[in-house]
Amino acid sequence: MAINSATTPWVLEADGIQLQFGQRRILSDVYIRVQTGQVVGLMGRNGCGKSTLLQTIFGGRHVPDASVRVNGRYAVPAYQQPGLLNYLPQTLMLPAAITVAEAAQLLRIDGHAALAAFPELQAQLHQRIGELSGGTSRLVQVLLLLHADTRFSLLDEPFSGVMPVHIETLSDVIQQVKVRKGLLITDHRFTELLPLCDVVYMLHNGRLEELPDPLQGLRDRGYLAS
Amino acid sequence: MLSRRYPRALFLFYRTQFSALSLFSLLILGTSVPFGNWPLQLGVSVLLMKLVTYPVVWYLSGQMRPNQYWLYLNLHIAPWQLWAGVVLLDTGLFSGVVALLRQLVVWL
Repeated sequence: MAINSATTPWVLEADGIQLQFGQRRILSDVYIRVQTGQVVGLMGRNGCGKSTLLQTIFGGRHVPDASVRVNGRYAVPAYQQPGLLNYLPQTLMLPAAITVAEAAQLLRIDGHAALAAFPELQAQLHQRIGELSGGTSRLVQVLLLLHADTRFSLLDEPFSGVMPVHIETLSDVIQQVKVRKGLLITDHRFTELLPLCDVVYMLHNGRLEELPDPLQGLRDRGYLAS
Repeated sequence: MLSRRYPRALFLFYRTQFSALSLFSLLILGTSVPFGNWPLQLGVSVLLMKLVTYPVVWYLSGQMRPNQYWLYLNLHIAPWQLWAGVVLLDTGLFSGVVALLRQLVVWL
């Protein structure tokens, strides 16, 4: 896909995504747009289909009629295109038996550079993923995927289990990374995520709505205390 | 086109499936004793028996570790590509073990 990334932003769009489990409609003709240089927040209650939407865009979940396009070109399944996007699932993605350095090598990432914002993590580069605490392994996975040379990153609850002081630093890293990437993030830590977002979508009853005033929108819908 | 990381990813994935695959291999070897087929001779029926176990392992593995594929998808490798490699690798290993065991029994 020949495009001058220095001047022209890359645009990831997904639409036509409809999904139903039994009688329950999870996603109903959703349209979402992310472009490089943006952090896009995806908000919604537990079980409303946020993870399903990310997985569908990534291509790990097949949904008939789902259309994912990059710069207007059809890209399904998107994960098959090297350098396009990566996805952080809610669960542990890396095998417990490999070390952080091995995981970085497998993902073709400079482990030292990826963990540079967290000097205390450098010492754990040769520890096995299974030996790290839950919060540390989460942080390591987020950092590796953020550092990867892809145009987009889809992050499902990147702050989950990460301690507050690390969330601050991680937020700084996200701000730095968005210069070269488009980030689609879903997390229940609204107060930490909102300041990072350029665009906020709300998923409710299977429908996706862009919130022009995210703070007020979340308050009106009872997601934040007024 | 397969990713250049495929051999490493396949080895990593094979390691996580090894115990279940070995269990079925041992079952095939073990059942040959009461049926009077010991030492097992490598043939079409034995290979078919081994091949039939892969969908079972695939299904059980998917049920027990539904999130195991995310890493590989991030490496641009689809689940079917991993399993194709596993089937080739494990069938080769199984065939080697069966042939070696037969040689050992005959030699002893």
